[in-house]
Amino acid sequence: MKQGKKATFYIGQALLWIFLLGALFVFSIPFLFMISNSFEEFSYVLPYPPRIFPSKFNFDAYKYVLELDLFGTAVRNSIINTIVTVVIAVFISTLSAYGFAKIEFPGRDKIFAIYLFTLMMPGFLNIIPQFLVLKGIKIFGGETGLVGTRAGLILIYVATNVCGHTFFLRNFFRSLPESLSESVLLDGGSRSTIFFKIMLPLSKPAIGTMSIFAIQGFWEEYFTAKVLVGANESMITFPLLLQRLNGQHATRWEWVFAASLLALIPIVILFIIFQKKMVVGGLTSGAVKG
Amino acid sequence: MHKSAINSKKLKKGLRGWLTACPFILPGLILVGLFILYPMVFTIRISLSEYQIVQGKITFIGLQNFKNVLAGGSRFWYAYRNNILYAIVTVPFIILGGMLFSYLINNLKHGGSIFRVGFYLPVITSWVIVSLVFQYMFNNSDRGLINYLLVDVFHILDDYVPWLLREWSGNAAIWLMGIWKNMGWAMLIYLAALQGIPADYYEAAKLDGAGLWKSFAYITIPCLRPTTFYVMVNMIIGSFNVFIQVLMLTGGNPNGKTSALQYLLYDKAFNKFEFGEASAVGLISAVSIVILTLVLNKTFKLDSVEKEG
Repeated sequence: MKQGKKATFYIGQALLWIFLLGALFVFSIPFLFMISNSFEEFSYVLPYPPRIFPSKFNFDAYKYVLELDLFGTAVRNSIINTIVTVVIAVFISTLSAYGFAKIEFPGRDKIFAIYLFTLMMPGFLNIIPQFLVLKGIKIFGGETGLVGTRAGLILIYVATNVCGHTFFLRNFFRSLPESLSESVLLDGGSRSTIFFKIMLPLSKPAIGTMSIFAIQGFWEEYFTAKVLVGANESMITFPLLLQRLNGQHATRWEWVFAASLLALIPIVILFIIFQKKMVVGGLTSGAVKG
Repeated sequence: MHKSAINSKKLKKGLRGWLTACPFILPGLILVGLFILYPMVFTIRISLSEYQIVQGKITFIGLQNFKNVLAGGSRFWYAYRNNILYAIVTVPFIILGGMLFSYLINNLKHGGSIFRVGFYLPVITSWVIVSLVFQYMFNNSDRGLINYLLVDVFHILDDYVPWLLREWSGNAAIWLMGIWKNMGWAMLIYLAALQGIPADYYEAAKLDGAGLWKSFAYITIPCLRPTTFYVMVNMIIGSFNVFIQVLMLTGGNPNGKTSALQYLLYDKAFNKFEFGEASAVGLISAVSIVILTLVLNKTFKLDSVEKEG
């Protein structure tokens, strides 16, 4: 009897595995297609038949992409932009979230409602006025202000993410008990003590999860970069480089796919490392309770 | 006298609240004001004006932009229709797929993380990259994977189809990509929610002789209801933000019949430089999203921030 139960269990597990593997295969076709074609040599003609599995391992396309002059520039820019943006955005948002979650001041809920409202607006229409505001910031000199500069791009990235990040972290801060901070206040500690000594350490998992999503978002951001620094080749980012490879004359797909895969690798590694530690629950805390 | 004393006390308390809060919220507030709120006001103004960006000339023309956008025969209605269709078609697949795969993965004894990462991969792949692959897969000659499979391998179709150049096949490609890209996100959210279902529910069901499917239908689906609403609301709102797929797959062709609101906005602003009409489209879609969010939240009584705030 027990033996039989065990056998049923293993058969069930095996069937599950087979089903999921099959589903995963179908799901992965676009990736397989991308990988196989990155080993091809197209010379402007697409291969026939289309390949899902590589017919050879030819790394010429990778070599071509890696040796591009702009490749180093794009990687450097993307890394700097992403890291600087995430650090600043997360710091400012954590401060804001604490303010909205734990400090009472008149109009708090109204301001927060406005933050929420902006999250529903289609963002990129704002790019024109944002462009004009950046152009007007001329304290650092230059005819075009901060347009075309790294500082300008990062400023827009940070600003457009403050509302979303604040929203996410505020929910988390609200779930932390009041008693911890009260004891600090009674001991004569200040708000900043509470923030740095209690809130920040406790919210590491939430901040970490959010940072990973943010890193992915900024790493792939295309549109804002195109508008703000697209004309300045020294500021080119990875997504802009991809589009460039795709756009010029006829597409050399093996270059595009090789570059795409190179862009994807760091993000995939990041997710594989942190997938167990991410607290997705925070994303849905509002919903799961109900 | 008494009242004014209370008032001044209240004022003092409010002031103190602000002073305490300022160091925390001010940096964010300044950025949001300068780069989000001011631009929004600017957008409203532009939607009521004719804006010549090079000269920087803004002429007030009332509701003319809205009239132009909403006029019969304009591409707006196709775009609006497509946003709604996108939601109707993709959301059920995303929810069912996400739920099913999360449930199956959750029942695996070993190797769950392989599938977790595998199904999540499309979510973390940039829209630009994904669009490039789909563009190539739906290529209109025998070199595209879809045509090759349907015509050369399975002989389902007699002739190669220019998928991305036709109204319904173009839309279908956009839908397929949306489902493929977002299902992993739903799966991840469901996986987190599944942890919250008490194990004894399943054990009790097992004692009653329920199998994997029965447990799924009678325990998992009902317990996941709040999460399902969350995923659904997010995905429906997301349906109004379809953009890169359209830009890179069909460009709205033929004649705007595969367009979507965000693409229409982009096309008007950055290809035709009709900023007034673009802003009008943006405002209409913003109002649609806000109304939709309120209605959905009310319908499903989501325990959301609006309630707390």
